[in-house]
Amino acid sequence: MKPAPFAYHAPRSVDDAVALLAELDDAKVLAGGQSLAPLLNMRLAVFSDLVDLRHLDELRGIERRDGALWIGAATTQATVERSDEVAAAVPLLAKATPLIGHLQIRNRGTIGGSIAHADPAAEYPAVALALDAEMEVTSVRGTRVVRAADFFDGLWSTALADDELLRGIRFPVWEGRCGFAVEEVARRHGDFAVAGACVAVELGDGDVVERCRIGMFGLGSTPERGVDAEVAAQGRPVAELDARQLGEAAVAPLTSIPEDLNGSADYRRRVGAVAVARAWTRAVEEAR
Amino acid sequence: MSLTEGSARYAGSRVARVEDARLLTGHGTYVDDIQRPGMLHACFVRSPFARARIEQIDASAALALPGVHAVFTAQDLNPGVHELSFTAWRGVPDSQRPPLAEGEARFVGDPVAMVIAVDRYVAEDAAELVDVEYEALPAVVDYATAHETDALVWDEWAGNLLGRTNGRPVDDLAPIFESAHLVVDETIHQQAYVAVPMETRGSIVEWDGSELTIWASTQTPHDFRMFAARLLGIPEHSVRVIARDTGGAFGQKVNPHREDMCLYLAARKVPAPIKFVEDRRENLMASQSRHEHGRVRMAFDADGTILAASIDSVQDVGAYPIPWPVGSGSAVGALFPGGYRFSDATFDCRFMLSNTPGRTAYRGPWQFETVAREVTLDIAARRLGVDPVELRRRNLLRRDELPFVNGNGMPLTDMTPLETFEMAVDMLGYDAFRREQAEARAAGRYLGVGTASYVEPTASAMPFYGSEGATIRIEPSGVVNVYLAGGSAGNSLETTAVQLTADALGVDISMVHTIQGDTALTPFGAGTGGSRSGPMVAGAIRETAAVLRERIAAIAAHTLEAAAEDIVLEDGKAMVKGSPANALTYAQIADIAYFKAGKLPPDIPAGLEASARFRAEAPNVWANATHVCTCEVDVETGHVRLLRYIVAEDCGPMINPNVVEGQIAGGTVQGIGGALLEHFSWDEDGNPTATTFVDYLLPTSTEVPTIEYGHMEGSPGPGPGGYKGVGEGGAIGAPPAVVNAVNDALAPLGVTVTRLPADPAHIVSLLQQADAGEDRS
Repeated sequence: MKPAPFAYHAPRSVDDAVALLAELDDAKVLAGGQSLAPLLNMRLAVFSDLVDLRHLDELRGIERRDGALWIGAATTQATVERSDEVAAAVPLLAKATPLIGHLQIRNRGTIGGSIAHADPAAEYPAVALALDAEMEVTSVRGTRVVRAADFFDGLWSTALADDELLRGIRFPVWEGRCGFAVEEVARRHGDFAVAGACVAVELGDGDVVERCRIGMFGLGSTPERGVDAEVAAQGRPVAELDARQLGEAAVAPLTSIPEDLNGSADYRRRVGAVAVARAWTRAVEEAR
Repeated sequence: MSLTEGSARYAGSRVARVEDARLLTGHGTYVDDIQRPGMLHACFVRSPFARARIEQIDASAALALPGVHAVFTAQDLNPGVHELSFTAWRGVPDSQRPPLAEGEARFVGDPVAMVIAVDRYVAEDAAELVDVEYEALPAVVDYATAHETDALVWDEWAGNLLGRTNGRPVDDLAPIFESAHLVVDETIHQQAYVAVPMETRGSIVEWDGSELTIWASTQTPHDFRMFAARLLGIPEHSVRVIARDTGGAFGQKVNPHREDMCLYLAARKVPAPIKFVEDRRENLMASQSRHEHGRVRMAFDADGTILAASIDSVQDVGAYPIPWPVGSGSAVGALFPGGYRFSDATFDCRFMLSNTPGRTAYRGPWQFETVAREVTLDIAARRLGVDPVELRRRNLLRRDELPFVNGNGMPLTDMTPLETFEMAVDMLGYDAFRREQAEARAAGRYLGVGTASYVEPTASAMPFYGSEGATIRIEPSGVVNVYLAGGSAGNSLETTAVQLTADALGVDISMVHTIQGDTALTPFGAGTGGSRSGPMVAGAIRETAAVLRERIAAIAAHTLEAAAEDIVLEDGKAMVKGSPANALTYAQIADIAYFKAGKLPPDIPAGLEASARFRAEAPNVWANATHVCTCEVDVETGHVRLLRYIVAEDCGPMINPNVVEGQIAGGTVQGIGGALLEHFSWDEDGNPTATTFVDYLLPTSTEVPTIEYGHMEGSPGPGPGGYKGVGEGGAIGAPPAVVNAVNDALAPLGVTVTRLPADPAHIVSLLQQADAGEDRS
């Protein structure tokens, strides 16, 4: 478990970082290394060059910008976890963070690293997808914004081009009578989810669902949205909604549920529905 | 207090571990901490096939890489083997165990070539460049069907059957089974799971032209030395094994492995020390420590009395088992009747080869007998309509019924099976839990309770294990060094030695230091294994201290002009009974013994150093325990959460309750892992599917409840201090206790787990099957 040889770069500015990415043929961004380093050590991934973001203060920070919460891509998960700003503005993100690995991992792991790595069983990509987060992407060619729905395009695969760097993530801030919950079925505390769900819900008068978003993880080659369940809930009073049915509606359309030692696709679909139902129930309780 | 034995000032008390300061401040010395001048590093090229002919190996590209010193194949190393045998089973015809795979690779991970390079990075780069041409062959992946396939792991073993042992003819029991009120017939499957020491296997070897020094991660320094000497055909005194700290072993490090053999053989070919420390993936692929199933039949009377029992046990021994599994694995049959009052039993144990790594010893290697029996007993209780606790009450042996020869010939003695069981059940508050369970069920929650009771032979007197030596030197300043073979792998053997020596000599514990693990310095001994260290080390220290006590008393009597019988040894002094002022400190006595030989009594040797050996006084020392576990099962996700975990054990008088509890906790956590989480599995081609900690799930602090301990000290063993071994039992009792708790929780839903682990997906699939069955009816 020693990596193959690679050249290591630790640029001092985002401009230098994207210049390196443009120049090098086989470079990979190192943004905490909590997934990348084991892959390198097991030689499941081999890159000629690593570009480490550790010195890029421009990529760290949490601030309100234009009604959204901007989080720099190199902000550690531990910083997100401790942030009052995150807890107030994007509670779903705050609730998802303690489920990522263990404290030691969150001290190193970054939000951008997690989202760019795009593990379909990871928490942050599902939260980003559920909340319609926007990814700020930069390269020597310029800067662009990619919606979460367009960002995760396959297993460990994103819309980022080889020369592009994820600079920050903008999370919409929900106001009003809102509730948020994350429910995860994992073998042990800190494991990747066998199946998980995050739910954001906003209630109006008469406890009518004004808005809801369901994100799911561990249930496809990318994070998934429970669109059918969202549509079913939209505009109806919560008292008329059956959480179990919503869970089943959310997982019904899924077609690429993985299977591994921790369960068959059938099992994951079942417990995915359970996770959605439980997250829904808790989110609604919080909103009421 | 006699002249030859000390008093128990420290024995029985919670003395803080003397190892802790060193280990907890990072001052431990594990193999990987050792650096030797000019040291090179080894890496193995391993087979990617479960079974393949090795057609050709081309190492030229690897050898051309800067920093690579050598690439060895079977042709280079294997002819150097002089004699291959394990000390405990010398003279027994064994399965083949070539250092490097020769002609054929026999499991995924089988070492095929060995690369030596300047560091492990370059060695791994070079290993990728070694070009091995394989021709894949049909593999024997599943041991359970190994007897039916045409493929053979070894041509020498027809039907892939390495060995078979039996008890009495099963037909003998037929009349009992035919007339019994109930016969339960269940097949219990235990998945493959492994020891997972925190420190992986590893060694450094250094040949200086006449002596081979091995820094080893081992439980048995002297056995590694004997093994290496026999392997290389050199005298034992040309091999020195040094093991300072070993970070867990659990049986995996009781014998040298094939990688060790390669290192010993390469040492004389490479003019530099070589380090090999395997990585976690290699360690997980090193063995399947448990992997077996058994068909259990138990016959009962209408009132739940056990009439007879049999087990047909089938064990996966892999391609290269160590040690001889037929000898160690037969204990599954012999111990299967447990601590229960019935005399008609039999067993049949088969040992199947497969194209998977070899079976190695793992903490309670025969543990499956308890899994199979205790899970079956709970099933029987449900069929009989008898509470499972009540069923055991009716059948467990009381202390006053021992000695008792179990149905497979094991003479049980010095134990408290029923008394210990009652203690554990009391600690839970069994009736209160049943009420809580009923309330929870009314609220749609599924709680369960399970127990498991076992008896365990510790401190075997088998050849090699049946004696243990100690050397004690009271230094000229009066401080004490005790030298023992050692082999501690986290089991606090230094603390034990220091405690017992302080008591045996009547000195303050701070005066005693221990030296262990270096074959050049310490007495010969079999190391740790078979829960032997406590009782055997206690014996060795007792014997040796007796020699010194007598000498000290003689010197004091001579100097103080008193009779030797009137000398009392206490507080580091020899004093005349009734006249404490009339005393000599050990420093004063040492001064005479070492520097004033003329003042010694005429028949007393100079110096205060002695060696002696303890010989085991019984074939083994029996210990027993009961585990009780409660859990809640989430029937939607299949997730099991443990609520309480209780272990009551009878390990005789405790030398140190902290150490006893640490041993129990460690084993119990491993057993919980085996019941719920750990699963070393293979795909249909024989590729291992859990070779990192992402997939091989160990229990962590969040999965394990606080373990509660009950100590039943009323039944001392036959040896020194009445001490019994306690190292392995936790790992024996935990899997069935947990599985029984799960099955108790799921009983109202008609579900019984008989295939471990009780993982969530498995539980949900059983619940689905039960649902479907109901729909049909």
